[in-house]
Amino acid sequence: MKKLLSLFMLTAFVQVMPSYASEGRDRVVVVANTTDAELSLSQDQVRNLFMGASVGRTLHPTVLPPNNRTRSLFNTKVVGMSESRVQSYWAQMKFTGRRASPLQVNSEEEMLRYLTKTPDSVGYLTADTEIPDQLVIIYSTD
Amino acid sequence: MIKIRRLTTGLSTLMLMVLAPITSAEKVTENLEISGFARVIGGYLDHDDRQFEGYTDEISFAEQSLVAVQPTYHFTDKFSITSQVLAHSSGDRDSGVEWLYLSYQPDSAWHFRAGKLRTPFFIYSDSLDVGYTYPWVSAPVQVYNNYLFSTFNGASGSYFYSGSDLALNLEAYYGHFKGDLFLAGTKVDVEAEVDDLAGLVATISHNNLSLRMSYHQGHNDTVIPAVELLKQPLRANGFNESADSLESSGRVYALQASLSYDRVNSFYKAEWVKTVTGYKMAPEVIGFYLLGGYIIDDWTLYGTYSKSAYSDIRPANELPQAPTGNESLDMLSTAYYQVFADTPNGSLESYTLGARWDFRLNMALKAETTLFEESRNASGFFPDSGSGENEDAMLYQIAWEWIF
Repeated sequence: MKKLLSLFMLTAFVQVMPSYASEGRDRVVVVANTTDAELSLSQDQVRNLFMGASVGRTLHPTVLPPNNRTRSLFNTKVVGMSESRVQSYWAQMKFTGRRASPLQVNSEEEMLRYLTKTPDSVGYLTADTEIPDQLVIIYSTD
Repeated sequence: MIKIRRLTTGLSTLMLMVLAPITSAEKVTENLEISGFARVIGGYLDHDDRQFEGYTDEISFAEQSLVAVQPTYHFTDKFSITSQVLAHSSGDRDSGVEWLYLSYQPDSAWHFRAGKLRTPFFIYSDSLDVGYTYPWVSAPVQVYNNYLFSTFNGASGSYFYSGSDLALNLEAYYGHFKGDLFLAGTKVDVEAEVDDLAGLVATISHNNLSLRMSYHQGHNDTVIPAVELLKQPLRANGFNESADSLESSGRVYALQASLSYDRVNSFYKAEWVKTVTGYKMAPEVIGFYLLGGYIIDDWTLYGTYSKSAYSDIRPANELPQAPTGNESLDMLSTAYYQVFADTPNGSLESYTLGARWDFRLNMALKAETTLFEESRNASGFFPDSGSGENEDAMLYQIAWEWIF
C-alpha cells in the first residue's frame, strides 16, 4: 500500500512539476519604476492597465513590438487575447478617439533601459531578466 | 458589369495614399500625427430581382468602400485636437469631416471631448467604418443598420478604472444631431433633427468577460414634408385622430446590452438592442446577434446568427377605406393607409460564415457569406419587395481592410 501511495505521490509530483519548473524565459514579470516597493497588482489590473485603464496611480505602460516572443507570452498569459485581437482593440480605441496605444520600444534591452530611467513607467520582461534594484516587480505569471 | 463609378473618387484618394510611403501612423512633426484607415469591399447578391444594402446580382465595389485620414495635433500631453475626413463610395453616405473634436485627458482615468463626435450607441457604432476593428465584412445589419445616425455635436466624458477584480468604464455624452436619417439601412429622404440627445454607457469587466449596457435618448424634431402635407387635409376634414397618428416628432430611446468573452484562441459575443419612440408612426425595433470566432495563427473563422423584428404600428380606425364614392376622400384615404403600408413591420434573420486573414500587421483580408431570410415581410431591408411574401437572398462579400 505504501509503495502504491509513493508511486501515486511521485506521479502526481511529476505531473505538477512542469508548472513549477517553467523556465524563467517562459514566465513574464511586470516591472515598474515606482517609489512604492510594496506595489502589487492582480492579473486583471495588469491586463486593464495595458488596455488603457487607470489602476488608481500614475503608471505609463510600455510594450514590446508585435512578433516579439515576450509580447506573445504577455498576450497569452496576461491579456488572454491573440495579437490580431489586440491590434483590433487598439484600432478601435484609436479610431473612436478613446485611448492611444501604449508607448512601444523595440527590444527587451531597450525596455529595461527605458524603465530604469523613466519614473512611473511600467513594462514586461521575461522572468530570467536581471531586474535592477530601482525597478519593482508588481506582477509575475506562473 | 462591375459598378465602379462611385468608387472612383475614394480609390483615387486611396491610390495617392498607397503611393505615399505610409505604412503606419506617421508623426509628421513632434506634435502632429496622421493616421487613417481604408476598406475596399466587393459584394454580390444571389437574387435575380431584389437588392439588399445596395447589392444586386452585379458584383459591386461601390457600396461600402471608403478611405479616411485622421490627423491629431497635440498641444500638450493632455490637450489635443483630432479630425477625421472620410471619402465614401456609396451615394447614400456623405463624404467630408466625420469628426472634429477637442480632447482633454487629465489622467489615465478621465477623458473629456467636445465637438463633432461619433455616437457610441452600440459596441461597434462608433467604429463601424473601421472594418479592421471587427471580424465581419459587414456588421450585423439588424443591429448596426437600424440605428439612426452616426455622429452628433456635443461633449462627452469617460472614466476607466480597474480594481483588483473588476474594471469599470463609464461614458456619458450630451448634444444634438442634424443630418441624414437611416431606417433599415435605407437613407430616408429628409434631414433629421434630434435635440437633447444624451446617453450613458457602462462597461463592467472581470478577467476576459465584459458586460456593456447603454441607454440613449433624444427628442426627435424631424419634419417629414410628405407626411405634413397629408396632415393638413386630414385635420381640415375633421380626421384629427388620423392626423395625430402621423406625428413624427417626440422622444426616442435606445437600449443596449452585450456580453463579450475573449480567450486566446476564441471569442464570443452577444449583443441586444431595442429602439422605441414616444410617437405612433415609428415602430419599435429589437435586434440582436450571437457571434463566435476561432483563431488559428493569423486566421479567424467566425459564425453569426442575427435577427431583428419591428413591432406593428396601426393606423387610426377613423378614415373610411377607398372606395367611398368621394374621389378626394379616396385619395386622402389611400395616401394615409399607404404611409402605414410602407412602414416596415416584419422581421429578418441571418446566418453568416466568414474568414479573416491578418496577413500583415495592419491589413486583413476577409471573405464572408450571409443568408438573409425574412421571417415576416416586410423587414424593410429589401426595399423593392412588394409581393408581401417573405424574401430571402444570399450575399457574398470580400474585403480588404487597412489601418495606418
